[in-house]
Amino acid sequence: MNEEEAKTQAVEDAKDGIKRRDFLQLMTGAFAALAAGGCRFQKPAEKIVPALVAPEEGLPGQAAWYATTCGACPAACGALAKVRDGRPIKLEGNPEHPVSRGGLCARGQGSLLDLYDSQRYAGPRVAGAPVDWDTADLEVIRALERARASGKAVRLLSPTWASPSARAELARLRARFPSLRHVVYDEPSLQASISAHRLTHGRAALPSYHLEKAKAIVSFDADFLGTWGSPVQFTKDWAARRKPDVEPGLMSWHAQFEARMSPTGANADLRVPVKPSERYGTIVELGRLVAQKTGWSGAVPPSGPTSVSRSVLLQTAAALVAERRRAVVLCGAADVASHAAANWLNHMLGAYESIADLERPAAFASGEEGGFDALLAELDRGEVAVLIVRGCNPAQDHPRAADFRKAAGKAGLVVSLAGRPDETAKLARIVCPEHHYLESWSDHDAHGGVISLSQPALSPLRGTRGALETFARWDGRRATDYESIRSYFRSSVLPRQKKTRSFETFWEDAVRLGALTLGGGAGKAAFIPSSLPALKAPPVSAFGYEFIAYQSVALGDGRQANNPWLQELPDPITKTTWGNFASFSPSDAKSLGLVEGRVVKLEAEGVSVELPAHVQPGQASGTVAAALGYGRSGIGVMAGNLPVVKMLPIDFQPASGADVMPLSRAAAVTVGLLSRVERLTKTQTYDHLVDPLLGERRDHARETVLADYLLNPRAGNPAEAKAHSLWKEHEYAGPKWGMAIDLNACTGCSACVLSCNLENNVPVVGKSEIAKSRDMHWLRLDRYYSGPPNALEGSPDVSFQPMLCQHCGNAPCETVCPVLATVHSTEGLNMQVYNRCVGTRYCANNCPYKVRRFNWFDYAHADLSANLALNPDVTVRSRGVMEKCSFCVQRIYTAKADAKVEGRVMRDGDVKPACAQSCPSEAIVFGDLNDPKSKAAKLAKSERSYRVLSELGVQPSVHYLTKVRNKRV
Amino acid sequence: MPTKTFVGVFDSDRAILAAARAAREKGLLIRDAYTPFPVHGMDEALSLPPSWLSRACFALGASGLAFALGFQYWVSLFDWPMNIGGKPFDASPALIPIAFEITVLVAGVGTVATLLVFRGLLPGKPADLAALGATDDKFLLVIDGQTEEAQRAFYREHGAVRVEAVGGGAR
Amino acid sequence: MSTSHVSPLREPLVDGVKDLGQITRDVCGPLDAAPTAAWYAAFAAALCALSYGAVMVIHQVWTGIGTWGLNKTVGWSWDITNFVFWVGIGHAGTLISAILFLFRQKWRTSINRSAEAMTIFAVMCAGIFPLIHMGRPWLAYWVMPYPNPMGPLWVNFRSPLLWDVFAISTYFIISATFWFVGLIPDLATMRDRLPEGWRKKVFGLASLGWSGSHRTWQHYEMVYLLLAGLATPLVFSVHTIVSFDFATSVIPGWHATIFPPYFVCGAIFSGFAMVLTLMIIARKVMNFEGYITLRHIDAICKVILLTSMIVGLAYSTELITAYYSSNHYERFAFINRIKGPFAGFYWMMVFCNVLVPQALWFERIRRDVRVLFLISILINVGMWLERFVIITISLHRDYLPSSWTDYSPTYVEIGTYIGSFGLFFTCFLLFCRVLPMIAISEVKGVLSYARGDQDKESRHAH
Repeated sequence: MNEEEAKTQAVEDAKDGIKRRDFLQLMTGAFAALAAGGCRFQKPAEKIVPALVAPEEGLPGQAAWYATTCGACPAACGALAKVRDGRPIKLEGNPEHPVSRGGLCARGQGSLLDLYDSQRYAGPRVAGAPVDWDTADLEVIRALERARASGKAVRLLSPTWASPSARAELARLRARFPSLRHVVYDEPSLQASISAHRLTHGRAALPSYHLEKAKAIVSFDADFLGTWGSPVQFTKDWAARRKPDVEPGLMSWHAQFEARMSPTGANADLRVPVKPSERYGTIVELGRLVAQKTGWSGAVPPSGPTSVSRSVLLQTAAALVAERRRAVVLCGAADVASHAAANWLNHMLGAYESIADLERPAAFASGEEGGFDALLAELDRGEVAVLIVRGCNPAQDHPRAADFRKAAGKAGLVVSLAGRPDETAKLARIVCPEHHYLESWSDHDAHGGVISLSQPALSPLRGTRGALETFARWDGRRATDYESIRSYFRSSVLPRQKKTRSFETFWEDAVRLGALTLGGGAGKAAFIPSSLPALKAPPVSAFGYEFIAYQSVALGDGRQANNPWLQELPDPITKTTWGNFASFSPSDAKSLGLVEGRVVKLEAEGVSVELPAHVQPGQASGTVAAALGYGRSGIGVMAGNLPVVKMLPIDFQPASGADVMPLSRAAAVTVGLLSRVERLTKTQTYDHLVDPLLGERRDHARETVLADYLLNPRAGNPAEAKAHSLWKEHEYAGPKWGMAIDLNACTGCSACVLSCNLENNVPVVGKSEIAKSRDMHWLRLDRYYSGPPNALEGSPDVSFQPMLCQHCGNAPCETVCPVLATVHSTEGLNMQVYNRCVGTRYCANNCPYKVRRFNWFDYAHADLSANLALNPDVTVRSRGVMEKCSFCVQRIYTAKADAKVEGRVMRDGDVKPACAQSCPSEAIVFGDLNDPKSKAAKLAKSERSYRVLSELGVQPSVHYLTKVRNKRV
Repeated sequence: MPTKTFVGVFDSDRAILAAARAAREKGLLIRDAYTPFPVHGMDEALSLPPSWLSRACFALGASGLAFALGFQYWVSLFDWPMNIGGKPFDASPALIPIAFEITVLVAGVGTVATLLVFRGLLPGKPADLAALGATDDKFLLVIDGQTEEAQRAFYREHGAVRVEAVGGGAR
Repeated sequence: MSTSHVSPLREPLVDGVKDLGQITRDVCGPLDAAPTAAWYAAFAAALCALSYGAVMVIHQVWTGIGTWGLNKTVGWSWDITNFVFWVGIGHAGTLISAILFLFRQKWRTSINRSAEAMTIFAVMCAGIFPLIHMGRPWLAYWVMPYPNPMGPLWVNFRSPLLWDVFAISTYFIISATFWFVGLIPDLATMRDRLPEGWRKKVFGLASLGWSGSHRTWQHYEMVYLLLAGLATPLVFSVHTIVSFDFATSVIPGWHATIFPPYFVCGAIFSGFAMVLTLMIIARKVMNFEGYITLRHIDAICKVILLTSMIVGLAYSTELITAYYSSNHYERFAFINRIKGPFAGFYWMMVFCNVLVPQALWFERIRRDVRVLFLISILINVGMWLERFVIITISLHRDYLPSSWTDYSPTYVEIGTYIGSFGLFFTCFLLFCRVLPMIAISEVKGVLSYARGDQDKESRHAH
């Protein structure tokens, strides 16, 4: 970046009609320094250590990878930050990380853009006015002193903060201000599981699950492949047992009892729609059947209502008992009783001896019940002198946010550590903004026995400050995060490991690898049968529809609501972008007379929200589900559309949807139909493999069942007809790049989609363009329902199919381009030459897979500082040219160059396209099809392998592996 | 040699055709005939050989075809061989349409150009005998190698409505 | 115009016995007189449409193709539909002037001039669409294989779109040449009857010093014959190549071997319909009832009837092929036309192109100008729909259901289409005003042969 660029940015700015104030704000950020000349982006002052083998650091154009820890959610997965010319441009999973072991979810990768959010605070503020740190600190310290004097309460409010050194720092602060208490809440929360374990095992802890050991998984509303707990880790473990061709007995059986269709349910072998009110009853019923089979003699919890057929429960019980010690029951409910019953099941099945680990519990959720409510009470009584809010947004992200907003006024002083403006920061008198996690040092012990360390990937872009340093200052010390964490590691972590005595070596390793495994852990926790009879079935609501507020894969709890990449990421199940919706079961929709897009009013306890309706096959009737995190107002331009330079004004379409957080505690809501219709903006408008007119099923997404597969590995996958060619095929002397995608491992989590967007500078086009079916994603996840298209009841089979350019050997797109803008490489790549393209779109029309994307406009970044996240290795396409998946050709060439430098031939696995790298379940394998030893070539030859539309003779280079469902019927 | 050339003005194709035939029988040398539309039988009357432009047209077409095919093969075989849709470099069937179009183009435009140049039909060139209405409803006959009297007499006896003298002669 | 026997039993090609001078006066007269009110009205309307279209095109080029309703699945719709539509219309002109000439159809003489003009203007309209449908029209010249300093960098001779480029430009040049060659004698006629002045000078330049010399006439006739001979296969090749855009693709509903003949017939069909429309207008506006007689109209109707039935045959053949192929995608493509979201367009097309023309079996209708005008308009609509059905309906639901979409045009697309009509009629109305609409020399020839038959008989006797 240099001055010219800063200037051109300014020009584009004007063009995009961004207001002068915003522009100045931009300048205060990254660009101010740019204008001052020279490169602003630099390594942090402290010594940071690149992962694996270090390249010559700071070489212009040279990318270095730094191990860090993803801060997008409490799961704290290991991540690698790709730093180029001093600025992070990509986040990927850290294969060295003991828990996540490579792979990073969509939200994790998207969090990179939050770093470049131009709305982040440039420095501390008092009463909205920018001040210097000392002023801010002084005021806070004075308030704290007063509180100590008057003995009034000081409260720190935060979500689960699994950082040992932070805890140490807080302990110090508490020593100085005894009235400080740390109130923790997560919303939505795993609290119920913790409480249940206190009940059934006398230990308030969340077991860490080792699903790779599970041959039978039964989950009740736990979306563990999507948003529940630690999805990346769970997906990896789950997927390890979804590959039938590795060894015959490996494949696991997975049943999902849930109300809404979650990604996890979509991947289950058996999926049973169950209303929340019947969850407890179902678990207990299942428990009783298991109890019979396992000869459980102890106490039994009281039964509750359930409508699940006995045969289904018997089948499930049988499957579980058959896999004792290798079976586990997961529960994602918010009520303790269901969890306790689930724990009982796990105990009977011996899950606690293998899969569910209470000795080294997970810590990505903690806190105590009712903490938040208690705090509200204190606030109301005016007992709180200082309220410090860190990492959460209680004015929005809690069901009682409205109460909080009222109560917060009664606090003596509200201090927010938010890095960017949010609802709470607006209430706070003082804002002490903390770094983005990529700018700061931190440590995490979210997973039992593992401490992961995250180092900054660049020095702070703004005048922000690390949270630990802030606390240290208030404690009257001048310790940076770096120092605090080092001192904690020296005093408390170094002794706990045996590898080395020297702290510096130890520290260097820890920083380089990003995580270290430590022994230890608590002892066994015995099951307490007497806790069972006391359980109470949760009350069944008399009226309306049972309400489910869930986290979407794209936005989670909504803390990243201003992130355009995530807003435009299609929901894996509904394929909806830019907004949430109220989804109903087909039968309810019929009885209500609902069509998709019809706006409904959900009302409970005087709170109401209006959402467009969506009809979801497989949803339990009698329920309505809506995603959290959408509909936040006043937090950024991204909630809206993107500006496109046009002569005439374009149809501006604000992101639809509403914030359902206020309703999220309601068990049931009443549904009222409004006259309004808001079309959902979907990237896929037809959902079925069966066509609507002839009723014939298309076999793009092939599948079979395990029983058939074991008899005949080609089951469900008829061999490709021998293609006859009129002419001699071209030879590929060197490598012929190709891909194998395992439909059985793909969970539809969409991490690959986002990874592809980041790597290849795929533009975000905004809601109104998506509404015109103009999404630009190079890699899309097709989701098909099979079974009768118009079924009102039951749960359809769901299959996911990542669809990208198939790099056909006989590519139809190449033949038709008049100017040779798309041609074939000698390595089998179908190349798109942007410079040569004149944009006839003939290639896209003639592509049987419809994976080519056209630049209908100049897609400007609404937030220009987002340009800092662009990948310099990939051209930013201009208006009027065609683009598409390139198999990450830039990575292929980088790998070649590296191999050359190291004076060796390329090895299998040297090249990992963004999609393959980010896939938590390793469903995507890339490699040289000409090399018989390469993993991709082996998979391509397997009996499960087929190529979509190969009958056209286009010779695709992408092979799909038939989905094998482990159905027991 | 006559100082003047005389033009016989007739008012129908039949009249001028008869006159022309008569002139031929007499062995008179007919310089040219000017008519609003091509009068048939005039060719024999003027004893003109059949037009050679058809042969020119064929030659032009053949060269156009050769060029088009040659160029396309040169590009796709030698100058810039590209793997396009996995097809062979010499994808001959694909070269036919353009070869055909070029053939027609060269033949058509070339033949017309030849006509215009060969017959001296060029912008701004003054027309012969424009005043006498040969482009409207008059038919003009110009014979050579006779005395003034003989010319006048011939035209009259063969039903010319008028006889006009044109200075210098028309060519 | 070589001699041919025209039976006196046949209706005369021109009504009312006229002498040669009268023909000249009749045809050239209107050009000297001030335009009629009808002409002004028509011209004003055409000009408005043209300027509206111009604004739309500027807006679209300035802003991006995104101003159209296209999407990731439907990459072509109105743009290429209009392109094929206009090219098709052009074909009738060449057909009338070339093929009917080769078949010695004397009746062509009084309409071929305006039919050829129609061709040229239609091809101009057609040419616009491939140009502006590009994402980067300012680089359109890249489709030309020209020597360049970028190392070997040529065009793709395998691409039907490139074949189009050559076919359309050749077609335009040859048609224009043919038209001009036919015009030369009449330009001379204009030149000679105009008083001194700038118009005389202009016609003087344009008529290339034509004097009616028979030595020139002889070669002229040969060249005209050759051009006719070249233009005839050209017509067929052009629409064959246009149909290749679709026939050579892999999209069900496009990928069909029947396309070349099917498209050529469709073109002739739509072209003659448009000729009919224009002739009916022209003979009214320019009072040419005597030259463009009911017999001409009748002959045109018969051609329309024939081609309509061929087109109908093509439709049914497509369906049967799809059914018989037992290929799921093929079947679905056609079921989707008949029963899918755009079914209305399909049935409207069948109504206009197959059912309506059946009325032309009846002579009473073939000679009722008002009804014919309506029919000709319906056929034009139907033929536009045919292209829309083929292009859009095949695209919007192809192989993978995940990428199925709908399509609806924006005001920009519609405006551009209207604009193309504006261009067409603006050009045509100007043509009516400045050039002889009827091939004077040819009509004179025809007239005199018709008169001269008797004595020809006698001559052949001895």
